Amino acid sequence: MASASHSHRDPDGLYTFSSRPRPVESSSRYKEPPSELRQHNYGNIMYDRRVVRGNTYAQHIPLTTAQPNLAEIQRQQVNKRRATAQKRAWKQLRLRTPEALQGRKHIDVQTELYLEELSDDIVATHNECQTDAFLDKPATPLFIPAKSGKDVATQIEEGELFDFDREVQPVLEVLVGKTVEQALLEVMEEEELSCLRAQQRAFEELRNNELAEVQRLQEQERRHSEEKERRVAQQKEVLKKERETAEKIAARVYAQQYMADLLPAVFTSLRRHGYFYDPVEKDVEMNFLPWLMDEVNNSLEKRYTAREMLDTIIHDVMEKKLEEFEELETQSARD
Amino acid sequence: MDSTRAPVAFGRWAVPLLFGQLQQPQAAGRLRTLAALCDLLHDPERLQQTVTGGFLEQLPALLTDEDASVRTRTCELLHLVTAHSVGRQALLTSSVLPPLSRLLDDSSASCRTSVLRVLTRLALLPAGGAAVLGLVPKLMLKLQQQDDEDHVDEEVLLLSAVGRCSRLDARPALASDGVSVLGRKLSRRSPDVRREAAAAMMALSVPVDGKRQVCEGAGLPVLVGLLQDDDVEVQTNAAGVIMNTVIITTGKLQCLELDVVPVLLDLLSRQPEEDVRTKALLVYSLRALTALAEAPDGRRLLLQQLPLLARRAEARDPDVRRAAQTAVRVVTWTP
Repeated sequence: MASASHSHRDPDGLYTFSSRPRPVESSSRYKEPPSELRQHNYGNIMYDRRVVRGNTYAQHIPLTTAQPNLAEIQRQQVNKRRATAQKRAWKQLRLRTPEALQGRKHIDVQTELYLEELSDDIVATHNECQTDAFLDKPATPLFIPAKSGKDVATQIEEGELFDFDREVQPVLEVLVGKTVEQALLEVMEEEELSCLRAQQRAFEELRNNELAEVQRLQEQERRHSEEKERRVAQQKEVLKKERETAEKIAARVYAQQYMADLLPAVFTSLRRHGYFYDPVEKDVEMNFLPWLMDEVNNSLEKRYTAREMLDTIIHDVMEKKLEEFEELETQSARD
Repeated sequence: MDSTRAPVAFGRWAVPLLFGQLQQPQAAGRLRTLAALCDLLHDPERLQQTVTGGFLEQLPALLTDEDASVRTRTCELLHLVTAHSVGRQALLTSSVLPPLSRLLDDSSASCRTSVLRVLTRLALLPAGGAAVLGLVPKLMLKLQQQDDEDHVDEEVLLLSAVGRCSRLDARPALASDGVSVLGRKLSRRSPDVRREAAAAMMALSVPVDGKRQVCEGAGLPVLVGLLQDDDVEVQTNAAGVIMNTVIITTGKLQCLELDVVPVLLDLLSRQPEEDVRTKALLVYSLRALTALAEAPDGRRLLLQQLPLLARRAEARDPDVRRAAQTAVRVVTWTP
């Protein structure tokens, strides 16, 4: 964690190093992904092999070189072996007293002038001492130095202690201060109010503007939409009129066609019904022929009447004859 | 010290003690206490203390006091309370408003002015405006009754209260025949009255009803006359009313008949651009011209004046620039 430790060279040339305290991470043989995972398994410092235990005064601390390559390692090993060999050799070469002969024994003896007893006990003695109790002493007299210098005296007259100009100052300060404070408050308030009012006025103006604009646009929209509607209605009417006119024309054409056929048919039928007549023929038919027929009727009637009269005459005669014959018959029958 | 003010306790006892002293039987003492309270309540901390301590409940009793100056002072106190939002909200939730509205018919003019000041400030808040909206018919009635030139302040305050309420909702004022009343006020001598009347009319002419009433009530000639008034504010407000009215078609036609386009163009060309107060006038005139350009006659007139509008379209102020560009766009629009 690079941010934890800082080391840099001071401008004076001093070297400083500082590092945030952090727990020691447990090292493992196999390489792990660094930082995050590794932070979670802190090892116990007591069981960390890297921590030096015991006396550190005469420990042989191996130099930590950067990259000990094979030659260096070999050389170090060789040096070590040589050192141990040398030490062994020195040990052997050291002069020692020869061994005692048979029947004799080596003993340590003091050869100084005065024999001393060597022992571990330290000779100690106890001693006490005590001060005497204090004797009563009289009080020391006051130190009055000898008189030196001149004697001076003052007297305060009436009305000298009170200096109006000086005394009035704090009172005046309070009065003026309070008044000024009140005035300042009021002025600040007024200023605040006028600021507020200016802001309000600006806002009002802006609002009025935008309101007017909005209303104008609204009005415009309304007018446009009204206009559009009117135009649309107009267009619809025009269309309707066109349609009507087309229908009328179609109807007219159809009617004309129908009528065109109708006219000769009418004429033929009229002619058939005898409405077109030749007046002379009509006259002849109307006047002459009935008269003729009447006359013919009359003459026929006359004939009939004549015939009828004849018939009646014959009938009368016959009847008379019959009567006469009957009379004759009866007469004859009687006879 | 100050004979017109009651002594004030130190620290946080100031306000409660003074309110306790308000119960005293003498009117002079009450007056002094009220004066001291007025001084104190300029400080927001004290105001907060008053409001949270619930001392406002004592005020309705004072509003029905016999002494007029006590009532006036109480109204001034309320005026100070409405200066801050906390106070306004407390005022709305407390029961002070009904007695306050009854005071509108008070005999003393200063009392009425103070009440109107309170209402005007209260109407700035939307919730407060809703509360004052209920009083609008009464205010309109008072406006109608006031035809003498004496109580100018009162008139101004009435008009501003009505104007502010109408910005929230113009219907009550319109229902009580606001347009004609305001039209009469437009021709007063005092510029303040004219300004407030024109502002109220601008608020009233926002809904379509109002616009129609303005057109019908022959208010437009007066407004066009006001466009050439001396006071910039009056001109601005009159331009605002015209801007709102020309949105509907009848307004456009009437204005074109009254030949308002040259007047507006004259106003446009005369204003220096940098002045903050005339910025509103510029923008309103531009918007009015935009609306007028929607009528064919207006467009014809304005096409000749296109360079003037184009010059304004390069203005530095973004609002003026926007308005001028819209105007140019509308003028050069073809169907």
